[in-house]
Amino acid sequence: MENLNIEATKYTPEIILHKSGKFSIKGKSYPENTFEFYAPVTAWFKLYFLIDSLPKVHFVTDEMPKALTLDMEIIYFNSSSSKWFFDLFDIFDEHKESFDISINWLYDEDNESAREAGEDFIEDFENLNIKLVPKQG
Amino acid sequence: MIVELENLKNEFSKTTDKLIKNIYRQDKIMLRSDKRQQYEYDHLQDRLAEVEKLELAQEELMDSFIVLIAGAIDAKSKYTGGHCERVPELAMMLAQAATDCNEGIFANFELKTDDQIRELKIASWLHDCGKVTTPEYVVDKATKLETIYNRIHEIRTRFEVIYRDFQIKALERKLQGENAADVESWLNIELQKLQDDFQIIAKANLGAEFMQKEDQEKIKIIAQREWIRHFDCSIGLAFEERQRVKKDNAQTPSVEYLLSDKKSHIQPREDFDYEDYEARGFKMPVPEHLYNFGEVYNLTQSRGTLTPEERFKINEHITMTIKMLETLPFPSNLKNVPIYAGMHHETLIGTGYPRKLTIDDMPIPARIMAIADIFEALTAPDRPYKEPKTLSDSIKILNSMVEKQHIDGDIFRLFLSSGIYKKYSDKFLKPEQNDDVNVTKYI
Repeated sequence: MENLNIEATKYTPEIILHKSGKFSIKGKSYPENTFEFYAPVTAWFKLYFLIDSLPKVHFVTDEMPKALTLDMEIIYFNSSSSKWFFDLFDIFDEHKESFDISINWLYDEDNESAREAGEDFIEDFENLNIKLVPKQG
Repeated sequence: MIVELENLKNEFSKTTDKLIKNIYRQDKIMLRSDKRQQYEYDHLQDRLAEVEKLELAQEELMDSFIVLIAGAIDAKSKYTGGHCERVPELAMMLAQAATDCNEGIFANFELKTDDQIRELKIASWLHDCGKVTTPEYVVDKATKLETIYNRIHEIRTRFEVIYRDFQIKALERKLQGENAADVESWLNIELQKLQDDFQIIAKANLGAEFMQKEDQEKIKIIAQREWIRHFDCSIGLAFEERQRVKKDNAQTPSVEYLLSDKKSHIQPREDFDYEDYEARGFKMPVPEHLYNFGEVYNLTQSRGTLTPEERFKINEHITMTIKMLETLPFPSNLKNVPIYAGMHHETLIGTGYPRKLTIDDMPIPARIMAIADIFEALTAPDRPYKEPKTLSDSIKILNSMVEKQHIDGDIFRLFLSSGIYKKYSDKFLKPEQNDDVNVTKYI
């Protein structure tokens, strides 16, 4: 399995998905077509969890790490991005038994709406380990 | 069967739960999104207001700088007085009249937007900004022999005179036996000639009258009077002058002419960028030397007090203006500033300077600038070197310039028919200048 690196653009965040279990999504999220933009990311995570569920064959399938950390620092995002975040957390929610997943929601402490979005995730996914991490402006 | 139904019921209930949850989620997403959008909108509005404030502050700062530069030029020389301050007033009045007029060449001319108005205003404030580089002695040269002067020369002359006084005293004592009447008569004639010669030189120095060929010959003859120099003329000089004077014979005693053109009078032209000069399309002939302080050379200039070298130095102010303004990174809404400011010495027929442009090269605001510049200079009541001209004389001169195609006739007639000439003269001219003009004969 390959790592996935997507560079930031004016409208989209930088995405780094490392097979070691370190993930980060940072920047702005205003893609022209949000679901198209995030499709490779969704696919990458689905594959990650799928590989883990396969019977282990030496040299063919990777041993996927069980401790996963996702840092999300999204300064601005549109509503469809917000929807995609929920979809992503749904996928995590399905695999929370087999993996130790922590999600850090980083936000500017002055940005009230970013904090509220984080609180919504916690409310909807009470069994996921989502932490709010305020940052000083 | 019942188990199946139970299962179906459970499945259905789960799906319904999920659907309900999703609907709640969608609502939440929309509401949150709206809130974020508002937050971002507020944020953008704040930033925009900040940018607008900064833009305004920057504009104000820039305008103050421009006025400051214009003020500095006006303050530099009493010979230009309030020129840089008055030309914008006249130029803006003319531009307004040209905008309001919908006939002839003005049919398609409009100076409406704030940017367009500001562009011409800046150009007219800065039209002479190159004058900051013009040496004052040239701008203010009131007599032909005027320079920035090291007075060691004059003081040395006094030493010469005292030296002779001692010699004369000695001779007098020796010659006590001679016929006194004959000596007296000779001396009177010679002294009178000397007085007359000085009168001629002094009058020529003023440069008030055109000098005919025979006047120039007279100067050259007077110049040949001789005196004996006993003092070293190469000492007491600053480095730059010493470099030039060294070339002359500094030996003593030495026969000198009353007036002379010496090598040491010539200041070489150094570091002149001919390539840049040509690349910018400047076409004024460049004199070989920077300056020539030759006494005969200066005194025999036929018109005014300036030598061709000094005339060029004065005219260089416009090339400096253009260079300075073309160097500034004006934003696109002010890109015409160098064009409007740099053409006020051009004529309609390619006889002006520095680029020998013609009417087709000159947009209307540039032609307005030329008239504003000339009319202000003619009527300025604050120039020490000339009596201010009356309104009627100034308009007569403008009209003759129209006839020679030096300035634009349409703008000249607009200047008269719009009554701007009157508005301007009432505001800026002295009462004794502000006479009645019959403008109908010019329109």
